[in-house]
Formats: sequence, C-alpha cells, structure tokens
Amino acid sequence: MTPTLWRFGWRSLIRHPLLTGLSVLGIALGIAVVVAMDLASQSARRAFGLSAEAVSGRATHSIVGGPSGLDDGLYRHLRVELGIQSAAPVVEGFVRPAKSPGHTLRILGLDFLAERNLRARLGNGSVDVRTLITTPGAVLLAATTAAELRIEVGQSFPVLINGVERNLTLAGLIRASRAGALQAVDDLALMDIASAQEALGKLGRLDRIDLVAPGQDPQWIEGFRAALPPGVELIRASARSQSLDQLTRAFRLNLTALSLLALLVGVFLIYNTMTFSVVQRRELLGVLRALGVTRRQVFSLVLGEALVLAIAGTAFGMVGGIALGQGLLPLVTRTINDLYFVVTVRQLSLDGLTLAKGIALGLGATLAAALPPALESTRVAPNIVLQRSVVESRLRARLPQFGLLGGSFWLMALMLFALPSRDPLVAFAGLAAVLVGFALLSPAATYLLASGARPLLEKMLGLPGRIAARGVITSLSRTAIAVAALSIAVATTVGVSMMVDSFRATVSSWLESSLIADVYATVPGMASRLSDATIRPELVEKLRRAPGVQAVTSVRTTRALWKERPVDLVVADLSATSRHPYRFAEGRPEEIWPALERSDAVAVSEPFAFHHRVDVDQLMELTTDDGIRPFRIVGVYYDYGSDRGLVMMSRQTYQRHFRDRAITGLGFIAAPGYSVEKLLGELRAIAGGDQQLLFRSNRALRETSLEIFDRTFAITQVLRLLSVLVAFIGVLSALMALQLERGRELALMRALGLSPRELWKLMAYQTGLMGLFAGLLSLPLGLLLAHILVHAINKRSFGWTLRLSVEPTILFQAVAIAMLAALLAGIYPGWRMSRANPAAALRE
Amino acid sequence: MSRGAEPVVEARGVSKSYREAGAEHLVLSAVDLVVRPSEFVVLLGKSGSGKSTLLNLISGMDTPSSGEVWLAGKPLQTLSEEERTQLRRRYIGFVFQAFNLLPTLTVEENVLLPLELNGVFDRKSHEAARRLLERVGLAGRNHQYPDRLSGGEQQRVAVARALAHRPLLLLADEPTGNLDADTGRQVLDLLEELARETGRAVLVATHDREMVSRADRVLQLVQGRLVARPKLQAAR
Repeated sequence: MTPTLWRFGWRSLIRHPLLTGLSVLGIALGIAVVVAMDLASQSARRAFGLSAEAVSGRATHSIVGGPSGLDDGLYRHLRVELGIQSAAPVVEGFVRPAKSPGHTLRILGLDFLAERNLRARLGNGSVDVRTLITTPGAVLLAATTAAELRIEVGQSFPVLINGVERNLTLAGLIRASRAGALQAVDDLALMDIASAQEALGKLGRLDRIDLVAPGQDPQWIEGFRAALPPGVELIRASARSQSLDQLTRAFRLNLTALSLLALLVGVFLIYNTMTFSVVQRRELLGVLRALGVTRRQVFSLVLGEALVLAIAGTAFGMVGGIALGQGLLPLVTRTINDLYFVVTVRQLSLDGLTLAKGIALGLGATLAAALPPALESTRVAPNIVLQRSVVESRLRARLPQFGLLGGSFWLMALMLFALPSRDPLVAFAGLAAVLVGFALLSPAATYLLASGARPLLEKMLGLPGRIAARGVITSLSRTAIAVAALSIAVATTVGVSMMVDSFRATVSSWLESSLIADVYATVPGMASRLSDATIRPELVEKLRRAPGVQAVTSVRTTRALWKERPVDLVVADLSATSRHPYRFAEGRPEEIWPALERSDAVAVSEPFAFHHRVDVDQLMELTTDDGIRPFRIVGVYYDYGSDRGLVMMSRQTYQRHFRDRAITGLGFIAAPGYSVEKLLGELRAIAGGDQQLLFRSNRALRETSLEIFDRTFAITQVLRLLSVLVAFIGVLSALMALQLERGRELALMRALGLSPRELWKLMAYQTGLMGLFAGLLSLPLGLLLAHILVHAINKRSFGWTLRLSVEPTILFQAVAIAMLAALLAGIYPGWRMSRANPAAALRE
Repeated sequence: MSRGAEPVVEARGVSKSYREAGAEHLVLSAVDLVVRPSEFVVLLGKSGSGKSTLLNLISGMDTPSSGEVWLAGKPLQTLSEEERTQLRRRYIGFVFQAFNLLPTLTVEENVLLPLELNGVFDRKSHEAARRLLERVGLAGRNHQYPDRLSGGEQQRVAVARALAHRPLLLLADEPTGNLDADTGRQVLDLLEELARETGRAVLVATHDREMVSRADRVLQLVQGRLVARPKLQAAR
C-alpha cells in the first residue's frame, strides 16, 4: 500500500461524513451494549464472589444441617471431644434497616475467639471482641455501609428481622485488611454468635460450622463424614458459591446473547456500508487495477477503510459501554436480587478481560463484516468497460443460487435445532444460521415484492410510483442489501418483544390459575424471591381461627440438601384447595397426589427437572433430619416462579423426615358472603404488632408478581430499545447511502425538468417502498425468531415451556419503525439534492 | 524508431471470443502485432471492432482465447494475474476516453500514484510530478481536485499520470473521444510531443482519422482482423 492509496481510502471515508459517522455510531452502539452488559454482570458476579470469599475465608468445608439448622451442641462436640481446633460456627440471616427499606444487611454471627485466621479477609474490627460480646445487639459494619445508612458508631438503629422490629447497635467499623477488601464486606453486619442467635431467633441453633480440613486428606474427610450424626452433611465450601454461580449462568448467557444481537445488527450495518463503498466505487477500483494496483492491494485498501471505522467505532463503543454499564448495573443487580440471591454492587469493576473482549469483538466483527465486500472488490476486473447493468443482470441471474444457499443455511439451522443437545449455544448457532439464510434469501424476496408492487404502484401513484418500484429492481445489488439489513434489524426487535410478551402472558395465566386463595400472608421478605422467613406458630394458629375464613392453605419454603447442593423445597398441605393450582407436564395427577401423600415421594418443577436432568420415577437422595433418604419423583409440574426450580413435598412426608414445623406462607379463602376487604381487615387486626406480616389480596399479589416480572425484564426491554436504535441507524445509513449514490441519476432528473418537490416525492416513494418491503419481510422472520427464542433458547436456558403469543401491535410497530426510518432516511439526501446545482452534481 | 530493437509488445495469432446468449462471438481473430520502442502507432476501427479488447489483452487486463502476447519480452500467457499486474504497473501507461482520474485525490496525487506503485516515494517523486504538471500546462493546479478542472485539463492530467513512471508503452483508448476538436488536438499534440521527447512507444486506439497524420504506422481492425494501412489510404 502506498501513501497515496491510503489517502484515496481515507478520503473516500470522509467524503460522506454523515454516512461514515452513522457506521461508526452503529458499531459503537453495538459494542457499547455488549461491553456494558458484560461489565455489569461481571461486576455483580465479582461482588458476589468477593463476599462469598470473605464469608468463607480459608474454610475448605462446611457442616450443614436440614431446614432447622444444626444444634450448637455439635460444635462443642467437635472442639471438645473430637479436638478439632480449626472449626468455627456461623449463624446467618438477612435483616432490613427499618429506616432504609431498600437496603438488606447480611448478619454474620461469628465466634470471634474461634475465628483466628479463618476469615482474615473480613479484616479487624475497630473495637475489641469483649465489647462485641458484652453489648447486646452490637454489630460491626463497613464504613461505607454505615455512612450510607447514616449511622454513627455507638448509635442504635432499628431493623426488621422476620417482620419483627429490633434494635441493633453499631459498636464499631470493619477495618479492611487490604485495599479493595471493603467491597467484599459491603452490607455485611458482623455480630457475636450469641447475639446473632438471639436476634435471628435461632437460640441454640447454628446455620453451619466452617472448618479447615487437615491437608485435604480424602480419607480423613470420609471418616469425618461418617462420624457426623444423621441429617448433618459435610460439603465443600466452594460448592455453595459454585452452585449459585451456575444458577445465574443462563441469565448471564441470555443477556450476552441479546447484547450480541444488537452487535449483529451493527455488523450488518458495517457490511452494508462497506459493500456500498465497493459497489459504488467499482469503476474507480477498475481504474486502479488498470494502473497496476494488485488485487491484494485493493483488498487491503477496503479492509483498511473498515479498520478505520472499526477503531473509531470500538473506541467510542468502549467509552459508551463503560458509561452504559454504570447505568445498567442497578438493573442487573436488581434482577439478580429478585431472582437469585442478595448481592450488593456499588461500583462497576472494569474487568480487563471484558474490555479486551470488547476491543477484539469490535475489531473482529467489523473486519469480518467487511470481508465479503473486500473479497468482492478484488473481483473487480481491471477492465473499465464492465457496465453497471452487467453487475445487476449478473446478480439477477444468480438469485436462484443465492436462494439455494439461503435455503441450505435454513436446513442447517433445522438440523441444529433437531440436535438433542441442551446447550443454549447450539440454539444460538441455529439462530445465527437462520439470520444468514434470510440475508441470502432476501434479494429474491425483494425482487419478487418489487415486481409484484409495480403495477399496483403505477395505478396508485402514476409515473413516480413506477420509477420508484423499478429503481428497487434495477439497483437490486444495492437495494437488496439495504432491505436485508433493515429487516433483520427490525425482526430482531419483533422477536425479542414477542418473547417477552409470550413470557408475560404465560406467567400471567399461570398466576391466575395458581393463586386461588383470597388473601395471602407472608413475612415481609428480603430481596430474594424465595423467602424462608417463618411466621410465629402461635400467630399461625390465631390466624387460622379468624372469623370469615373458610379454608386455609399453608406452605413452608426452605432448603434441603441434595448431592451436596442446596435445593429449594416447597412443603405444601395437600387439601383439595391446595392441589388446584398444580398442572403437570409429566405424570398423571390421579397417581401423583396419592403418592405424594402416602409415600416418600416428591414432585419437581419443570426448570428443576430440566437443570438437574431428572425425570419421573427417578430417586432423589435428600438429606433429612434422620440422614440421607431416597424420594421418588412422581411428577413434573409447571412453575414460572423460580428459574432454578423447586422440589415439592407434602406436609405429611416432610413431617415424617424433618422436625421443622415452621410455616412461611398462608393462604385464606373467605367464607361465602365475606368480602376480601373485610377478611383482610380481620386478619390484620389479629396479627397486630406481634410480627409484621404482609397481607395481600389475590389481585394485589398477582399485580406484585407481574411487577417483579416486569422488573426482571426491564434489562431486556432496555436491550430491545438499544437494538431498535441500532436498527434505526442501520436503516438510516443504508437508505442514505443508496440515495447519495444515486446523486448523478437524480441530478439528471433535475436537469430533465423534475422540480425539487417532485424529486423529494420520488425519493420518499422509493425509500418508503423499501422500508415497507423491509417491514413486511421482517414479520415472518420476527415470528420465526420469536418462535426460536421461546421454544428453543428459553427452553434450553431455563427449561420453561412458554406459549407463543402474537400481539398484532408489535407487528404494526415493526412495519411502522421500518417505514418511518426509511422516510427519515430520505430527508437528508432529498434536501441535499434539491439544493444542489444539477450541473455540478452531474459533473461529480 | 529503431526497427531492429527488441519489441515493446508483440502479439502472435491472438484471438478473443465471448459467449453471448449461448453463442460464441469472435471479437479478434488471429491478430499479429509488433510495437517497437519510440513508435507511434494508430489503431483504427469502428465502435465495437475490438480496439479496446486488443488494448486490454496487451496490458494483461484480459487474457486471449488463443495466441500469445509478449510485453517487454515477457510472455503474458504464462504469468499469474499478480505478475501481469506488476508488469502493467511498470511498463504501461494508460489514457482513457473518460479521463478516469481518481476524484478523491488531488491532481498531483493522481500523478504520484503510478510512481508510488513502482516504489518511488521520495521527494524527487513530488518534484517529478510537479514538473510533469508544469509541462502539461497545469502549474499551480497541483492541489486542486479533478472535478474543478475542465475536460481538456483533466485529460492533460491523465497524460501526465500515464507518463509519470516512464513506461515503455503508452496505451490510449479514444483519448479525444470526450473532448471538442480543438481541445482534443491540443491534448494529442502534448501526448505526441512528450512521447517522442522521452522515446516512449504509443498505441492509440481511435476512430478519428485525423490522428493518422501523427502516426508512424497505421493499423486497422476490420471484422476482427488486423490489417496494416498505408498512411495516405488510411487518412481517407
């Protein structure tokens, strides 16, 4: 490459600054979305990892029990009789500061004397251990947390623990042992174990005992495990955080995939821009070749231009991505809190790997998109007699070939979807094949649409209508690319919107059928959805006897251990009313209910069966209070409340194996003639000030659930909006390029006597027509994408069976977006051409 | 003209045909041609007689259906596309009917391009380009873009560009086709003067018989065959 050739390339880019600017913006937005999403979810993951590490410390294993935890006598037994020194007891719980309801503190009750070096990362307190032990309700907080809650050292502050208000006292601050460690202890409240037991209502109980196994000796571990009493398990410390990390994998994967869709639209934009720049300069490239510029040099020239766009786009994209990531962080964190676990993320951590990935993706995707046009440019013969008409007629002759190739991509997609793989990545590969296939089929589709529309347009709009339709066909090499880029962009938004709508409709109808009681009572939960805070037994009894109550259903949600991992367990009473909400995907209800009632059996939710690859008739070995017991899976039921999945057990079965009798939720059915409002009033009056309970009517609960749903999909909606924006820019730049390229032709029309007004009209017809075509083509593709997202990707990521619901407004919106963008795209070139001196334009 | 010298270009039995709508269409049939250094050869022929095709074959931009073409002693038919391009950039200068200047490069940069393609990047190349532009009467217009120039001026830039890298052979395809008679004559005067001054061979394809008077030799393409015409006869 010579300096003058570089100059040629550079000036070709800056010749149409608006067009080049739009391409750069397209890449920048695509990259920004991907980087932002990655940074936000990595930050949440990192924050979670840091706090898990700080909480686990050097512990290699934890001893855990069933739903009611461990007896603290076990700890004494370990230390005194077994002589294990490197063990420390832990009591854990979540509380909410009464004055900052948005905040959740994680109480970690520790025996500071036993801690020694186990949790060095937690740092030291600014007060001595004696103060912590002797002051009732004394806690240590990180300075940042204390400042945020506006609590001074020595000050008392009220918190809600399981709905009961209690006072804690800030005894001192946690001093970070090293820089950056403060993030790990964010929202952690350290307490002496005895105070924590008292505050959390866990007198005499422990949540776990952490220990450092001597030398990781497997024999010692096996022997130790065997010596533990029944119902007590030894698990690896890393297993807990790993299983939580796996939980969010599908969520993270989907965010990444959606953001990659936005980038894909950006890539089409680049492909479009670069193809235009090659097609438009075909003659000039021919001249270069005649002057002795080699194919390789032409290739480098085109790719070099793309590289300039890539560098600029990626640079803006990285900066934008960091800013956007900061904005998305609360959304991602809230979704994780709603769906998975409590995590506090205050700041975006700028992960080097994510940034490097963003740069590689920006440069790589842009260059990959520019590759086909760059290769095309080397095929320009150094023969300047090659006419434009030849290019067009060649393309038309090759339409069947393109169609065939497109068809084979679709066949490949079908095969990918037919694969028995459960990996969502395979489904994403299928999705990509569908899009490429569509891009290859779209020239033929555009040709057919334009040919079909011609007579109609002529009848409706006269000569300009015919010229507009003919223009689409005669410039098919350009128009088809623009229409393809546009329809893919629009179809993406259609697909994502329909997926979210279908999801919402399914959840809404599921809520309708599963919420059968008139009033529900729970302990005001922490951020995470599946709260295991319990209602005081005496209060349960009082509420059961409330006037106006015809029937009561109760539920206990808790965790049980299965293969060293905690699984969510739902304990339900199996009255006829409680059975009503369940719909089974596998198994027959008339066999399931009796089995659940009488034998050691469980039913699992659809996502659970999917994630853990279990099915009806398989045995699950759960750790009960009497040791490990097998439970037969008798049914798989639909559930959209938890994406990690649930195990459901009848109360009878539960009580046979667990001593825990607690209840986490109650459902009341009003007696005939008793209004819901009146019943609510009665129940609230009975609960009084004892324990704060949340009473919600059926309707309110349904609304709240959908609110949470919408909140968890807020991030998806943001992504959808961003990809609409990228699509809009794509449409704008594709059509603008087309019209600018037609400068000479339009100047000729002006020279022949077309008024500026008529010229605008002509351009509006043509861009509007292409927008309409793109909008129409995006509909079947959008439906197909929605089908893939709902039935393949969601099913493979979360294991949910969803019903595809088609909202006609989304379809209208799609066509409207395409046409509006198309018409807007005609404005600038129209304005330019109508102001331009036709003679000067003809000379260009 | 040195008749004994090694030919700049030599075509032996060159034929070229295209398939069109299923039928074979013969454009050139067994053409023999020799152009020697410093020769000024005019190639006459009607539109569509195959003049441009012959120029494309000579420059290696196209390949013959049969026969051989030798450029600067090298057999084009045995060379790869890359090698033919290298040979073209070194030994051939092109002047087109439609000027074909690169619109995004200035006048001087257009002239510099062939020099740079041949690996000449130093300050001397700029001086050479400027001198050439002075020589074609465009001193002081170096930094203008081609669309600011008249047709005659643009073609003069094209002549300067074609000669900048001192090629052995200058190929001109209807160089006056887009110019009025006076301007065309001025451009041709310049082209002939510069070529003779520097001893370049010139092959001009045209249907303009006025050009015959300048030629050392006149050839004509008639129904795909190349025939030599005495200058007097050709002028008629």
